[in-house]
Amino acid sequence: MSLSTAGYLARRAAQKERVRILYRRALKDSLNWAVHRHIFYQDASDLRERFEANKHVEDLDTIDHLIADAEAQYGKWRHPDPYIVPWAPGGSKFTRNPPPPRGVEILHDYGKEEND
Amino acid sequence: MAASLRPAILRHIRIPVQPLGRHVLPSWLGSIRLMSGHGDDHLDRAEVVDRVLDVIKSFPKVDPSKVTPEVHFQNDLGLDSLDVVEIVMALEEEFKLEIPDKEADKIDSCPLAIEYIANHPMAG
Repeated sequence: MSLSTAGYLARRAAQKERVRILYRRALKDSLNWAVHRHIFYQDASDLRERFEANKHVEDLDTIDHLIADAEAQYGKWRHPDPYIVPWAPGGSKFTRNPPPPRGVEILHDYGKEEND
Repeated sequence: MAASLRPAILRHIRIPVQPLGRHVLPSWLGSIRLMSGHGDDHLDRAEVVDRVLDVIKSFPKVDPSKVTPEVHFQNDLGLDSLDVVEIVMALEEEFKLEIPDKEADKIDSCPLAIEYIANHPMAG
């Protein structure tokens, strides 16, 4: 009995994590699709409603099925060119103009003393 | 005719040049974060706490009077897991961060969020 309870709880926890990460990705993706903030607000609340609609589903297999379904939908509607924070991998500033290594100093007044 | 008129007109409309202090930056420049910052100007911890609390307080489902730096999102504020996802995303936008999904999933309370952001080299 306790083993099956532990198994149930583990499966529930895994499902909850999957849903959280799916919601996070979907929310970010709706921000990618939305051109303006007010459009995003509407999209986000629609997305939230779609998650809330299945809030009280109890059956584990049904939940798995719903999550797989939603993940497939997310995969289908993913934005081809999402916004990436500039310094992050894939961003426009990624590894550009890195800071000089420690102990290296840049002389901004190089050669000035001879001319003065 | 035109040759003599030209300097006369130019002298008339000349704008007086005032010397500027060359190395004195205007005071408003101090508050601007330059584009080429490499994150070597770390955020102050107190500032991080302030801004994190501001973000959480402005979340519509949160009672602002309950928000303290030690608050746990689900246990103390009565939020559910999807609300926490939204708060973490709001924090990401506030500090211009990109938190990997697995790490963002672990941020479930105010101290953890402050710790993560204060230690992040790119938080701005």
